[in-house]
Amino acid sequence: MAEQKKTCDLFDCGHRACGGCGASLVARLVTEAAGPESIFVSSTGCMEVFSTPYPETAWKVPWIHSLFENAAAVASGIEASLKKQGRKEKIVIMAGDGATFDIGMISISGAFERGHDFTYVCYDNEAYMNTGIQRSGATPYDASTTTSPAGSHSFGNKRPKKDMPGILAAHGAPYVATASIAYPADLKQKVEKAINTPGPCYVQIHAPCCTGWGFEGEQTIAIAKLAIETGLWVNFEMVDGKVTKAKKVVRKPVEEYLKTQKRFRHLFKPTRQDAEIATIQAIADRNAEKYGIDIKLPPKKE
Amino acid sequence: MMEITEGSFAVAEAVRLCRPQVVSAYPITPQTHIVEALADFVANGTLDAEYITVENELSALSACVGASAAGSRTYSATTSQGLMLMAEVVFNAAGMRLPIVMSIANRAMGAPLSIWNDMQDSISLRDAGWLHFYAEDNQEATDLHFLAYKVAEDPSIQLPVFVCFDGFILSHTYEPVDILSQEQADRFLPAFNPADKLDAKDPMSFGMYATPDYYLEFRYEMDEAQKRAKDAIAKYGKEFGTLFGRDYSAFIETYRLDDAETAIVAMGSMCGTVKDAIDEMRAAGKKVGLLRIRVFRPFPIEEVAKALAHVKRVAVLDKNVSLGSRGGATAIEVRDAMYGSAIPVKGYILGLGGRDIRKKDIREIVSLSEKGIGDQFFGLKKELI
Amino acid sequence: MCRTLCPEGCISEDAGGFFDPDFAYCKGCGICATECPKEAITMKKEEK
Repeated sequence: MAEQKKTCDLFDCGHRACGGCGASLVARLVTEAAGPESIFVSSTGCMEVFSTPYPETAWKVPWIHSLFENAAAVASGIEASLKKQGRKEKIVIMAGDGATFDIGMISISGAFERGHDFTYVCYDNEAYMNTGIQRSGATPYDASTTTSPAGSHSFGNKRPKKDMPGILAAHGAPYVATASIAYPADLKQKVEKAINTPGPCYVQIHAPCCTGWGFEGEQTIAIAKLAIETGLWVNFEMVDGKVTKAKKVVRKPVEEYLKTQKRFRHLFKPTRQDAEIATIQAIADRNAEKYGIDIKLPPKKE
Repeated sequence: MMEITEGSFAVAEAVRLCRPQVVSAYPITPQTHIVEALADFVANGTLDAEYITVENELSALSACVGASAAGSRTYSATTSQGLMLMAEVVFNAAGMRLPIVMSIANRAMGAPLSIWNDMQDSISLRDAGWLHFYAEDNQEATDLHFLAYKVAEDPSIQLPVFVCFDGFILSHTYEPVDILSQEQADRFLPAFNPADKLDAKDPMSFGMYATPDYYLEFRYEMDEAQKRAKDAIAKYGKEFGTLFGRDYSAFIETYRLDDAETAIVAMGSMCGTVKDAIDEMRAAGKKVGLLRIRVFRPFPIEEVAKALAHVKRVAVLDKNVSLGSRGGATAIEVRDAMYGSAIPVKGYILGLGGRDIRKKDIREIVSLSEKGIGDQFFGLKKELI
Repeated sequence: MCRTLCPEGCISEDAGGFFDPDFAYCKGCGICATECPKEAITMKKEEK
């Protein structure tokens, strides 16, 4: 008779996330990887809001809301305090892309420059989702958001994604990685590695948002996979500033990914925007070359 | 031990003696000597603390929030522009009931940019829930830090404290100060041991969001804690007096007020000048006295009303202004404390941006007060308007 | 796989090695059904 397995669940069910939320999966997987001997710092955002409506909390680990721009600074203070008290808990920051790429840049830069020992996890749903889907520095090129809407005079967000992993590697972060909920075992492995590497480490996790991107909740994992398979998201690791590993794929054309989400619908309806799609394909091609993700298929035998 | 020392250094020494575990520091004139002295202590092993050189003031107070929530006594210092940059965290720290103590070397707010003293900075955040102590001299600036930690960390209070002293005028001036020994400090201030903290052994969530169904009561609890702080200040201020001979149980100080006809109300270092001016006016036969407010939050409403109940007129000096209203914060709150009384209360805004306050300014204000003229800026240079 | 990928964490393994959702917490997103390699889960719309 098989023994009843207990789920880990340091992030409890009953939270208020949308059905199919990628970020809630990130919370579950990261808390599992971190374990109970950890302290979590959350910036304002979807995850903070859906997990802690007073007087209820989904967090079964010690947790503090820092405010929006300062998670890394609050974590710095916690780290200093634990050092002085001789305590061993691991510090994990959970911040969205808005809090990380934009408003949190200053405190992240300072904390990484000072070399505090913590793991910074950015759950990247590519916009300010909590406030209603506004554009952030992580919003991909041509994505339609409420502050970068597609219209008769616009194709949506005009800028490509900011390279946060590169920026933090340049700060001397000993370990930087990107991950995706499409590959949960890989995600947990990377988070564990980050936690066990002394110094400030960064893990950026792709967390597709059904509400914000415009797709059915059941497709969350499938879409996360497509992002990787088209090269628009690359899963890689950097150790001491050098890319050591990247997930290789047999690349699919970006169109297969773009077609699945309402935020890119304007690239296909009412007219197909070949030039824009080509620009996005070029971004994917550049990613592929930069990280070496293309699997070279052997030539077909005649 | 009695020393002639710079105000900043005396404050730094007091902080050192309070044994903070985490100090976060961002430099800003005129607080720099404090954080430099603390860095020196750490570098030479006389302060056993983690010293975080943060990248801006918002992070400075954020680091204190993290450290305090994790269970450490923590400290920072700032002023003016820096205080406003961290304003969001100022509200957050009080709302999260963290007993952080922060020195404010009072300085004017830009624009126009000014590094010189007035009290606009801390006064402008008087609604945030922090306790406010205002020092008259370097001895008070020093002693009030010990009192601040003890009151803040009282489990029935748990509110952060601003210890305010005039930038340059106090921070950069040498005065004789009696600084406690480590043994004395330890006797007054035990180790910080909060009931609730971030701890894997007993996981808790800090700083959650509250819907309209829950928010109001949190703010009410903070206000109740401010009220209880009066008792805590009285109790620990008295204990300080018993142990070390300097009593801080009173929220106000009166100088020749008992039989005064004109009462001057003021805070901070200008009170030294006011006392000298009062002595001169008294010698000339004028019955003038001073009510100095040392604790501005919680505001000593009853004590102020009682102390001023017998005078003919009140002249309130403010080194700050609530632009668009009637005067500075002290005048507005004193008038509120005196509500229902027929005694005229007039405010005078002076000394902004570090403009010097002289004895003759005080004499002139008293004359204006006697003529019923007030509620205005004092000392304006007509040629500049 | 369903247990790992459920955003709510409400699927647990029972003594027989089968995975059951806790319907008190299931939001009906359908990820489990979409991702199950054996297609062992079907989503049924709740009728009034």
